Amino acid sequence: MKLRFDRRSVLKGMLGGSAVYVGLPVLDAFLNSNGTAFAGGAPLPVRFGTYFWGLGLTDTPTGGTRWVPTKVGPGYELMPELEALQAVKDKVSVFSGFRVIGDGRANLVHWTGHAAILSGVAPATATRFDAASFDTKVADAIGTSTRFKSIDIDASVSRQPVSYSTRTGSTFASPDATPLALYTRLFGPDFQDPNSDDWKPNPSIMLRQSVLSAVTEQRRALMMGLGKEDQMKMDQYFSSVRDLENQLAVQLQKPEKREACVLPQAPQDPTRVSSVDIVNSNTKVMAKLLAMGLACNQSRVFTFVHTSGASETYLPGQSKIYHQITHDEPTDAQLGYQPETSKLASEVMKGLGVFLGELDAIKEGEGTLLDNSIVLAFSDTGYAKIHAIENIPMFLAGRAGGRHKAGQHIAGKGDSVTRVSLTAMQLAGAPVGEFGVGSMKTSNPIGEVIA
Amino acid sequence: MYYGRSVRCGARSVAPPPGGRTLVKKTVSVFALLGANILGGFAIQAAPVQGAAQAPAMTVGVRRITETQYRHTIADVFGPAIKVEARFEPERREEGLLALGSAMLSLTSSGFEQYFALARSISEQVLSEQGRETAVACQPTDAAKPDAECARQFVARYGELLFRRPLTPAEIQSRLNISARGAKQTGDFYAGLELALTSLLVAPEFLFRIESAEPDPAAPHQYRLDAFSKATRLSFLLWDTTPDAELLSAARSGALHSQDELERQVDRMLAAPKFNDGARAFFADMFQLDGFGNLVKDPSIYPKFDQSVAEAAREQMLLRTIDLLVRRQGDYRDLFTARDAFLNRSLAAVYQVPYASRAQWMTYVFPQDSERSGILTDIGFLALHAHPGTSSPTRRGIKVLEIFMCQATPQPPANVDFSTVQDSTKGTVRGRLLDHMENEGCSGCHRRTDPLGLALEHFDGLGQLRTMENGVPIDVTAQLKNITIEGARGVGEYLRNEPKVPACLVRNVYSYGVGEKTYGRDKAYLAEQTKAFIASGYRFPALVRQVASSPEFFKVIAPKSKPKAPVAEATVTQLQSTVE
Repeated sequence: MKLRFDRRSVLKGMLGGSAVYVGLPVLDAFLNSNGTAFAGGAPLPVRFGTYFWGLGLTDTPTGGTRWVPTKVGPGYELMPELEALQAVKDKVSVFSGFRVIGDGRANLVHWTGHAAILSGVAPATATRFDAASFDTKVADAIGTSTRFKSIDIDASVSRQPVSYSTRTGSTFASPDATPLALYTRLFGPDFQDPNSDDWKPNPSIMLRQSVLSAVTEQRRALMMGLGKEDQMKMDQYFSSVRDLENQLAVQLQKPEKREACVLPQAPQDPTRVSSVDIVNSNTKVMAKLLAMGLACNQSRVFTFVHTSGASETYLPGQSKIYHQITHDEPTDAQLGYQPETSKLASEVMKGLGVFLGELDAIKEGEGTLLDNSIVLAFSDTGYAKIHAIENIPMFLAGRAGGRHKAGQHIAGKGDSVTRVSLTAMQLAGAPVGEFGVGSMKTSNPIGEVIA
Repeated sequence: MYYGRSVRCGARSVAPPPGGRTLVKKTVSVFALLGANILGGFAIQAAPVQGAAQAPAMTVGVRRITETQYRHTIADVFGPAIKVEARFEPERREEGLLALGSAMLSLTSSGFEQYFALARSISEQVLSEQGRETAVACQPTDAAKPDAECARQFVARYGELLFRRPLTPAEIQSRLNISARGAKQTGDFYAGLELALTSLLVAPEFLFRIESAEPDPAAPHQYRLDAFSKATRLSFLLWDTTPDAELLSAARSGALHSQDELERQVDRMLAAPKFNDGARAFFADMFQLDGFGNLVKDPSIYPKFDQSVAEAAREQMLLRTIDLLVRRQGDYRDLFTARDAFLNRSLAAVYQVPYASRAQWMTYVFPQDSERSGILTDIGFLALHAHPGTSSPTRRGIKVLEIFMCQATPQPPANVDFSTVQDSTKGTVRGRLLDHMENEGCSGCHRRTDPLGLALEHFDGLGQLRTMENGVPIDVTAQLKNITIEGARGVGEYLRNEPKVPACLVRNVYSYGVGEKTYGRDKAYLAEQTKAFIASGYRFPALVRQVASSPEFFKVIAPKSKPKAPVAEATVTQLQSTVE
């Protein structure tokens, strides 16, 4: 094992091997060596997000892998299903071979995989998580100084809005599910241009604050004598009220200038069709809006759904949906994989490609918005045909302001997926040293990718 | 027979036992089973009952109000002209009902943001120059200044309608403070009121139905639902809205606690036009009609589909239901076999029926030999439970069992070998599903679900009639246990005669009204209600009358002090949402 004697590893050693990168003040000198983290001396914040797509990637038990690179470490080769990541490859680390350990709990198809990655525990039921999704922890840590603590987006054109972000495990975020809804939320009437020269506090915001104070004044009386589940519900309600109070407070402060921030045009909503070409173009439009929202400092945290678990997307004009194809299509004996499924997987990965491309298109300081972000992209399954929760494809994209040693392939060798989640949280700067439950509990992030 | 998990910690430990006296002993034994840690929480609530007359009320339920409840309430309280434009938080179905999901949901940050913006918009409309004349009964001494007395009247009046109970002095005072501050700051009394009203509209007491129980004066040691919570239960079940003045007054006086007054109120509510709204809301929930807004179909495969067809398909199912069950007070079983249907112009094209009416909707009776009969052959049911480009016998079968028979289908096994499954671009879907039925891991469920769906295969993914698939005639015979079913009419006849069907409706009305799942201990009550429902000739209003005036409808159910049942039991009965 390589010995490293930098400031972090020394601290790590002093604290008995548990991960304590977090909570360290970001020292200017330290980050400066990476060359991208600063613009005019003020540190650009690290943004954090999750990106989800359904039905995994192709890696068959017969060895027909279409995404796991042979080479481990930096400079991995680009496998066929990852070709869409070509342009940003050096900013993306690939994690293969990590798995969900259920500790006796059943594999709830198209649910257990991402539930475990996000909440650290294989869930008991297929409508809930047993714990909060970790993006909410990151949002609590780094998302309080912006207008929105988190932006939740669903580009999937599904029957129901899809989000896997949850604070209680039972109530999931209500995502913006169309470009126009996202635009209105970010850049609608309450948007304040950070680059405007004649900014004045809006007095009506103070009146809005007073409206909320009447609600919070009654909190104690309301909470008395509530059962546990009702208490949880009311806790979440009041935490949502606090988020809005915070939002109003932020709007009463003069926003910091943001060079990269340019108010975008209001978009058109696409026709409601869930074929993969439409979902990908929807992804591009929404990613562009999101990227500008981040650049304008409206939020630092986001969750993005491209397609849901058990995805209903399909190739235009085809009667069978992707999900059905993953199960029904026989493995081609010569190729060693399902050709149609793999084709769809490549199409779906184009979504991730354009998504990251939009973050990378915004110049920030000497780098790009993607350089100052860390995005955990992942799916619900590994090999979808058998609902595998082993080898679920996971990626960390973006340099996290220099903290992420990107461009590597890490082979997990059966380690818990929560190690990747923990790594993501720490790269985002959340003060979390431990994540997961039971066999998936870990305090051991993936040191190889942490600078 | 019903959904349910075998372990239910803490639920219903204070349901009043018939004799009353046995309560203490009974709860003790429950506590012994559950362990000491929840005893603490419960003892605080139960202890004062021992001797004191003024034991505190206890909260027994918190349910988020639904979108239609919100809309109906605003229309009832402020008039139908008020525009309610917002995206509501997504709802979630538990054990077949959104009403059960709403008892588990809270509000997210972005959801609260939406409610806040909506509240501001409603208040602005209510207190606009034209609106204030009707909305504010009193005149401020000076419209440019605060007026505590007029503000108090306004807050107390609307507070009671929105919170469904009188406000406490503290709740009123905090709104008076905002309204005074706002009036001062803006120099406008009505701007102050606007803020006060906004704060009522974003309060948890409005956005959630908070039910509370009080010690029962008639039975020492027991709790009963307080009169306002009773009024609210009635009002949301029968009208899908907040209680009206008369119901609130019966709650205020305590009259609602008497059986006579209860029955009088129920009859009054059944006779009111708003019972239509209540029934629509109930059936939209039970029949799972919430997916139409986002329904997608591939335009090259189903060119006739668009959003207006989706919306009309939903309305068609509701029109059929309300016309038969409420307007005509008909037999519930006719829902599955009636040959008449409501059509509008865009539906007529899909049904391939000439539209010969100038009205927006017309009734149409399909010929005797038509395969269209009953609600299962409405394109709404057929299209909703299908894929974007194909039908899905499995989905349809699952939904027939789930919606109309309260039968849940377990999750499919994770590791299934589909390698023998044939290529579905050839032949009919039956071949593919027969493979499932022969596969050991799949057959248990697919033998139950698929036959009902296969019998509906003469309808494609949009619900259009067809007889061939991939050039091969479609066989719509299906074998269900010992019964052979032939086509859609066969499925309708099967449901008509299946005893689980009326029992399922009864279970849903009860669960929907009380916001609680049903358990084994409810079996006797539900069986008795089902018997009465059958005796009434399967009349829905009679069923609602019986349930709403029965003591069980107001039974106090203690809040759970401990989270969820253990894992193993919980996973088995999980409803299927991601199948196939």
